[in-house]
Amino acid sequence: MTTSRAYYWMVLPALVLFLVFHTVPVLQGFYYSLTDSPGYGTYGFVGLRNYVNLLRDDRILDAYLFTFRFAVVATVLTNALALAIALGLNARIRFRTALRGIFFIPNVLAILIIGYIFNYLFANSIPAVAQALGIEALSTNLLADPGLAWLGIVAVAVWQAAAFNIIIYLAGLQTISDDVREAATIDGAGSWRQFRSIVFPLIAPFFTINMVLSLKNFLQVFDHIVALTNGGPGTATTSVSLLIYSGGLEGGEYAYQTANAVVYFLVIVAVSAFQLRVLQRREMSA
Amino acid sequence: MRHTNPWLTALMAACALTVLVPLYFTVVTALKEPAELAGAGFGLPADPRWSNFADAWHLTNYPRAALNSALVTVGAVVLTLLTNSLVAYAIARNLHRRLFKGLYFYFVSALFVPFPIIMLPVIKQTSLLRLDNQLGLILLYVVYGLAFNIFLYVGYIKSIPRALEEAARTDGAGTWTVFWKVIFPLLAPMNATVGILTFLWAWNDFLLPLVVLSSPSARTLPLVQYVFQSQFSTDYTTAFASYLMALAPALLVYLFAQRWVISGVLRGAVK
Amino acid sequence: MKRTALFVAGVLLITACAAQPADTRVTLEFFQFKPEAIETFDRIIRDFEAANPGIHVVQNHTPTAESAIRARLVKDDVPDVMALNGNGVFGELASAGVFYDFSGTPSRVSPPIQRILDDLGVHRAGERNGMPFASNGNGVIYNKDLFERHGVRPPTTWPEVVAAARTFEAAGVTPFYGTLADAWTVLPAFNALAANAAPPDFFARRAAGRTSFAAAYPAVAAKLRELFGFTQPDRHSRTYEDGNLAFAQGKAAMYLQGSFALPAIATSGPRFEIGTFALPATGDPAATWLVSGVDVALTMPREPEHPRESLAFIDHLLRPEVMTAYAREQRAVPPIENAASGDPALAGLMPYFKEGRLTGYADHHIPLAIPLEQLLQQFLIDGDQARLLRDLDREWDKVAARSTS
Repeated sequence: MTTSRAYYWMVLPALVLFLVFHTVPVLQGFYYSLTDSPGYGTYGFVGLRNYVNLLRDDRILDAYLFTFRFAVVATVLTNALALAIALGLNARIRFRTALRGIFFIPNVLAILIIGYIFNYLFANSIPAVAQALGIEALSTNLLADPGLAWLGIVAVAVWQAAAFNIIIYLAGLQTISDDVREAATIDGAGSWRQFRSIVFPLIAPFFTINMVLSLKNFLQVFDHIVALTNGGPGTATTSVSLLIYSGGLEGGEYAYQTANAVVYFLVIVAVSAFQLRVLQRREMSA
Repeated sequence: MRHTNPWLTALMAACALTVLVPLYFTVVTALKEPAELAGAGFGLPADPRWSNFADAWHLTNYPRAALNSALVTVGAVVLTLLTNSLVAYAIARNLHRRLFKGLYFYFVSALFVPFPIIMLPVIKQTSLLRLDNQLGLILLYVVYGLAFNIFLYVGYIKSIPRALEEAARTDGAGTWTVFWKVIFPLLAPMNATVGILTFLWAWNDFLLPLVVLSSPSARTLPLVQYVFQSQFSTDYTTAFASYLMALAPALLVYLFAQRWVISGVLRGAVK
Repeated sequence: MKRTALFVAGVLLITACAAQPADTRVTLEFFQFKPEAIETFDRIIRDFEAANPGIHVVQNHTPTAESAIRARLVKDDVPDVMALNGNGVFGELASAGVFYDFSGTPSRVSPPIQRILDDLGVHRAGERNGMPFASNGNGVIYNKDLFERHGVRPPTTWPEVVAAARTFEAAGVTPFYGTLADAWTVLPAFNALAANAAPPDFFARRAAGRTSFAAAYPAVAAKLRELFGFTQPDRHSRTYEDGNLAFAQGKAAMYLQGSFALPAIATSGPRFEIGTFALPATGDPAATWLVSGVDVALTMPREPEHPRESLAFIDHLLRPEVMTAYAREQRAVPPIENAASGDPALAGLMPYFKEGRLTGYADHHIPLAIPLEQLLQQFLIDGDQARLLRDLDREWDKVAARSTS
């Protein structure tokens, strides 16, 4: 059987649009990273100078360190929390449907707006409550402390992102038949052992996809920071995305920050490559 | 054996409060007078001040922004469902060919390209093609959504037995007819997933509208919150009324379609 | 093919919505960066349109106007008429040749004020790439009632500033209101101190590598830190908007902001009289200069799409009566010669305008790629002066190395 011509027509328009709106801009971006363009007007070709300068710039390094610390902590917390809540929702509890519905709510809300609301809570309400209760650690604005502001961003990010991961884990847990679990219970396996040796292996593929997507999304964190700290205090919470946006558009170093974006791309690919392989292995076995 | 665990129920309900409290806070703040804001602010307003909503409505030109958001979101969802499934079908049924397998990885790899790389070229391009408007945004969501949607659809289509298509083909149906009449209806669960994800993305997105849209009259709801942030000034009650109005449509849609949304995501995830 | 029909209908609907209604008038886009001036500009536009029925002006306001204008440049779609802050970005864009050359246009602008704008950068020597529309005074805003009640007079020397702050502190009144959650709000104080406590030719010498922040800026940094030590404890948590409200409510005696904050303070209805003074940084009252900038500069693209109409609108804006009316509403100083603001809140700054003891903003000479306000914000949190000066020097050198091959 030959491939129907129709298949080619099905992919062609999408391919063209994808080339025009994605691949060409990627190549253009790469080209600009080899110039000194401010984004408009005339510019010259400077070779790899931007890349050499990147290596010497400690602000860039700081942004990467912040972004990775944030992304790793947020990914781990999001998934641990989501898995715990999903297990709770899957257990014998009342109001299961209603609770499940509530836990998904943060996922339908715009991060930017959530960020503004939490910004107010961190600046005003939480300190007021903490002062009344005599909790020293929270009695000042978390977001105004350069050493702790990132935790505020993690809190909002986890609050918002856990919602979706809970649902994915629930989907995974529902693929496990009660028989399997009950067999384990009869065998006398304790809950933790039952989880580790029976439940977790069965939902491992869901765990993988959640980890990959969470890490990838958190590495590109932008909206949360615009609404919560705008990169501050000082430059304590400047993520790579924010640095590229503000340095490239506001600081007038478009080409330089685009070189940064290319490096950022390579870093994300490197991090994801190993995770993707895990995914592919899963695809094979599926 | 079938009785429920009250302690666990209580624990889960307590966890659910962390979701509800910020929402509760948003609602009560939106209804207060500025003078009532002192302290923690979790109390109920003495006398609900509905005029906060009227102020926010006029200040942000809410109907315009909501219409823009709705237009972009509906356009993106409809076009995404119709086109992305089609592309995925062609790829899924030809994965044994090098060309289509290459296409699969080509599209999916875009998942890992950070937006800042393409930001300025895309700004330039959309403006050049006069797509620095709602239509351009729809197009970009459809194109950029391909990466993840192809991944979802292809996995799902592979699990649909070919026998169903063969039967239609022997009845003389071409590839297009097979897709629209046989495959597309079978894709319903995955369409639900993709539709929900696209809806949430397009409705809540901030960075793409921020850089792509030129005309103030094209601004979407999140963008309007950003633009008017400085004008809310210290009037936090109006600001919260505005936030609430921006969050409300998605929240209402979700409340009414909750079961459907969750089961859509659930089914999509299991594929 | 029901779906195809649906799809076609959808596309048609979208295109219909995106289409512009027909209008025979020339439409000008007027891009401006001041949210508090939207209504003032609306009124000016109404007057202009009434006198010029063939021209329709659409006001476009965007926050973070600098990135918005850059994005528009990337699109090669520069607004017809722009009202921009006369800051470093303006200088950079003017130098890059983005703006029109107004050197042939007659002007009533006071020469020292035009010079402050031109000093930011012009495309070619002798060009004039923007027209000052409103000037600001970057001093200290104070609460006259609180000053009177505690027997404090506007300070004219640095020791008097410190003494005034101590008096308020002892009386339980917050001397200054700090709003460091918005990093930029550290700049007014920084600029006043840099103008009066650092060598005047510092930036030229720094560019030539003959001095450093570490050598010339310790006094500025130390005084900045001392000033913010007199602000309320939650200074790092409060925003500019919070500050305007708090000051209007009489919660502090002084506010380290330029005259551009006055309209926002006025909207909160302060029940006391407001005054201003230039921030002194030395022991000699005669050595104090007022930092003044072009708060609003008007310009248009180098190759305008509608040159005649755009110029007509700019010409209208530059009429003395329009500038004066704007200045009255927005508490600015009109940049015309011998202009005196009758605003009592600005009376304390008027002598400097009269005597021409004006100097530009120091931060406009610092490259935009240096995160100046963030570094200052960090410094006011950790108090590490050596680190601030070292970071400023290092960032300066890095950015200089990046911009020359």
